[in-house]
Amino acid sequence: MTKQIAFKSASEMPEIAVSVGSMDWNKTGAWRTQRPFYEDKTPPCNAACPAGNDIVSFIQKIAQEDYEGAWHLIKEENPFPAICGRVCFHPCESKCNRRFFDEPIAIHALERFVADFAASQNKKVERMTEKGREKIAIIGSGPAGMSCAFHLAKLHYQVTVFESFSLAGGVLRFGIPSYRLSKDVLDRELWDIEALGVEIRTGISLSNPLRIGDLGDYQAIFIATGAHQSKGLSIPGEKGRGVYRGLDFLKKINLKERVKLGEKIAVIGGGNTAVDVARSVVRLGKKATILYRRSKEEMPAFEEEITEALEEGVKISYLVNPIRIHQKDGLKRLECLRMELGEKDESGRRRPVPIPNSNFSLEVENVIIAAGEEIEISHLPKGLERREGIVLTQRDGSTGIKGVFAGGDLTSNQRTVAHAIGSGKKAAIAIDCYLRGRDSEDAIRQLLVGEGPFLSILRYIHPDERPMNSHIVAFEELNMDYFEPAKREKEPKRRVKERGKEFKEVTFTLGEDAALEEAKRCFNCGTCNECENCYVFCPDGSILKGEALVHQVDYDFCKGCGICFTECPRGAISLREEGR
Amino acid sequence: MKKVITGNQAVAYGVILSRVDVVSAYPITPQTTIVEELSELIASGRLKTIFLKVESEHSALAALVGASTGGVRCFTATSSHGLAYMHEMLHWACGARLPIVMVNVNRAIGPPWNIWSDQSDSLSQRDTGWIQLYCENNQEVLDTILQAYRIAEEVRLPVMVVLDAFVLSHTSEAVEIPSIEEVDSFLPPYCPDYLIDPQEPKAFSVITTPDYFMEFRFKIQRAMERVPEVAQKVNDEFKSHFGRGYGAIERFGKEDAEVLLITSGTVSSTSRMVIQGRLEKGCSVGGIKIKRFRPFPCKEIFGAIKGAKKIAIIDRSLSPGVGGIFAQELRSALYLQEEKPQVFGFISGLGGRDITPNLIEEAVQYTVDHDRPQEEILWLGLEK
Repeated sequence: MTKQIAFKSASEMPEIAVSVGSMDWNKTGAWRTQRPFYEDKTPPCNAACPAGNDIVSFIQKIAQEDYEGAWHLIKEENPFPAICGRVCFHPCESKCNRRFFDEPIAIHALERFVADFAASQNKKVERMTEKGREKIAIIGSGPAGMSCAFHLAKLHYQVTVFESFSLAGGVLRFGIPSYRLSKDVLDRELWDIEALGVEIRTGISLSNPLRIGDLGDYQAIFIATGAHQSKGLSIPGEKGRGVYRGLDFLKKINLKERVKLGEKIAVIGGGNTAVDVARSVVRLGKKATILYRRSKEEMPAFEEEITEALEEGVKISYLVNPIRIHQKDGLKRLECLRMELGEKDESGRRRPVPIPNSNFSLEVENVIIAAGEEIEISHLPKGLERREGIVLTQRDGSTGIKGVFAGGDLTSNQRTVAHAIGSGKKAAIAIDCYLRGRDSEDAIRQLLVGEGPFLSILRYIHPDERPMNSHIVAFEELNMDYFEPAKREKEPKRRVKERGKEFKEVTFTLGEDAALEEAKRCFNCGTCNECENCYVFCPDGSILKGEALVHQVDYDFCKGCGICFTECPRGAISLREEGR
Repeated sequence: MKKVITGNQAVAYGVILSRVDVVSAYPITPQTTIVEELSELIASGRLKTIFLKVESEHSALAALVGASTGGVRCFTATSSHGLAYMHEMLHWACGARLPIVMVNVNRAIGPPWNIWSDQSDSLSQRDTGWIQLYCENNQEVLDTILQAYRIAEEVRLPVMVVLDAFVLSHTSEAVEIPSIEEVDSFLPPYCPDYLIDPQEPKAFSVITTPDYFMEFRFKIQRAMERVPEVAQKVNDEFKSHFGRGYGAIERFGKEDAEVLLITSGTVSSTSRMVIQGRLEKGCSVGGIKIKRFRPFPCKEIFGAIKGAKKIAIIDRSLSPGVGGIFAQELRSALYLQEEKPQVFGFISGLGGRDITPNLIEEAVQYTVDHDRPQEEILWLGLEK
């Protein structure tokens, strides 16, 4: 280096050792061997959401007290936040990284809060005034059909939903008791979809089986007729009087039809339908006992539902398998075998094995069988391929028949509301691609995180939105130095005594303060929330804060020490080796 | 307003009145209550000062090096091992010419572990380029902090204000607390000559070749040489504002006394009493309290010892292998003098042992009784 400045004496020199001129020319970033950069990654909750909700973003909006913004965000992906907030089995929470720290975020409760807040403010999604010429027919108004209708309407299609039943909603209407999902809430979110311009035609009987030619006015058809046939047990006496099927029973209750019931009711099964049935029975003032052939650990019903059922007086007998129903003057003798758990079966659960000569009998007046549901095949159009109890489709929901798509419970054994919503959304994308002559497989692959289930339509409609990163943030990538334990907010519950005979909702919506606290518990895995740690810690002052609050690294001076990467609490900064 | 407060509270008042912008400190007995007082005031929002929490004393001072370079008024406080841990940064603060003010509450350095008063901690930092001012009472503590910022900011050197553990830090006395308006008129806001400006980045304290290094050290020495004059000017102004003042030294007792007793810190209060007693008996004795240890007040001492034949000096420190540190400095200063009084170097009160009037009496008597010290180090109150 050449000496540019030479002092001849102490008196010429500055008082302290400071450069005389500006050091702006010295771009110390040239010393860098590794480069930090802001990179939003996918949080595990988002990745796990079958409905494709951008969970981390809507929680961020709540934390900023922008509840309406949160609602709009959810509505981009999912027409049913109030419903999902009540009935979804929230796989997001079982993947939440906070579960390794204290307790997962109560995501479902936040979703419900946002939806109910929007309703209380009378918020509406924007009506699609501009409509294309193409018409789409949707068969079935359950969560899959209505989700598909919602998204197609937003894509400017003319959508007609055909529902054989007198009211829309499908399984949401007649399969879920009102104490879990009030009908007002369902109506509210269905109206929102109609408000977009979707036509719902209820009480419509189409040809049976459906002839595609009858719907010749429509350029595409989405079939989502669900799985409403309760499976039988194939035991003697199950066709007798006073023996009901779970879903049929729930349907009658939901329609407020009278059901003739004795005092003591046996409910057979261990899924949510069985628990819904038993809790409904209790609300009708009768005694319900659930008989389940495996043990508590294997029971597929949600833990919380089981707890509430027990609170309400439902009895559960485990490791009991009914083998015969004896009829005797209205009273029934239910003959059962005791079971024990053997080796694991293909579902990973231990197989129940009968204990020889353990026969015993229960005196009951009704038996309600809730041992799973299957699809009804009589109305399906010819040419649909079926295997193992479901209609076979491609990944995009297309069937063997041109222009005919299928989804929801009809095409999957993962029979949850969230999966149905996701499947309807995917079909909407596939139908749009089909009518626009695009490759839907390719489009869907780009919208998925890994193999799914998360699928974002926002990024289909707005391709310039940042794509979802396939990197799912692991707990180990977070910096726990910046978090303190905080209790998970619990939704208030109606007291057991006050649940009574009416089917009033058991769970209440979180209050604003509680929702805010809960939203602030969120780690925001992989998503910058402008916490400013990088800005505070950068020893070179090389974090630039832009006008729009988007942080950038000043590579002229960043020396690549990696402190920002280490101190980012949420893994929103990445580090890569500098190219040479 | 008069208040009965401890020495450490007096420190906190001094800091508040000086409108310090940044405090960074790490707690250590017996300094802790200073930090507690300030941090509570800051946390409650009553004091608009930034408090930086740090993980060590080294970081406490390093943080202030940054803050001070940024052009704001800074404060820290420590004791003993904490000060020792700051050692590197003490040099840095001086070398970078930063007017940081620090309080050191004198405490022995272990082992053996000891939390009581002893000047070894601050005196062993004498070569770091900090101005050192020792205080005798709580009023002086508060006043010295106000003066320290004026001196530091004028000569661009850091100042260490020193007080005795417990005897001052935790003992309450009546202290006159000036109003903030009065202090504002005495101590203007800090206007740095050099500061970090992001619009015009400069390199601070970077490598300096042998071509220039010595000149920078020369400038530090020159600044130190200016201190006596600046400090006196500041003290004169302080006196006109507040009616009190403190010299680099204070001479008391009989003028041109044959025997003089030199002390610093709170021991000076006790020695005033002993000297007064002797004077009443008609003895030719006097005393000197040394307030400013760095730069060492040679000129002031020469003026004050005219006619003295023997000087007793009590050190509350030990530089093993040599003796008391004040005694060393005094002997070295006297070398320049034509007439050199005998120096009796006493060591007493290490690790907080009380330096009682009887012990001081003993030292004076020994000095009166002997023409020259019988030993290089005269141990006072030691159980051999």
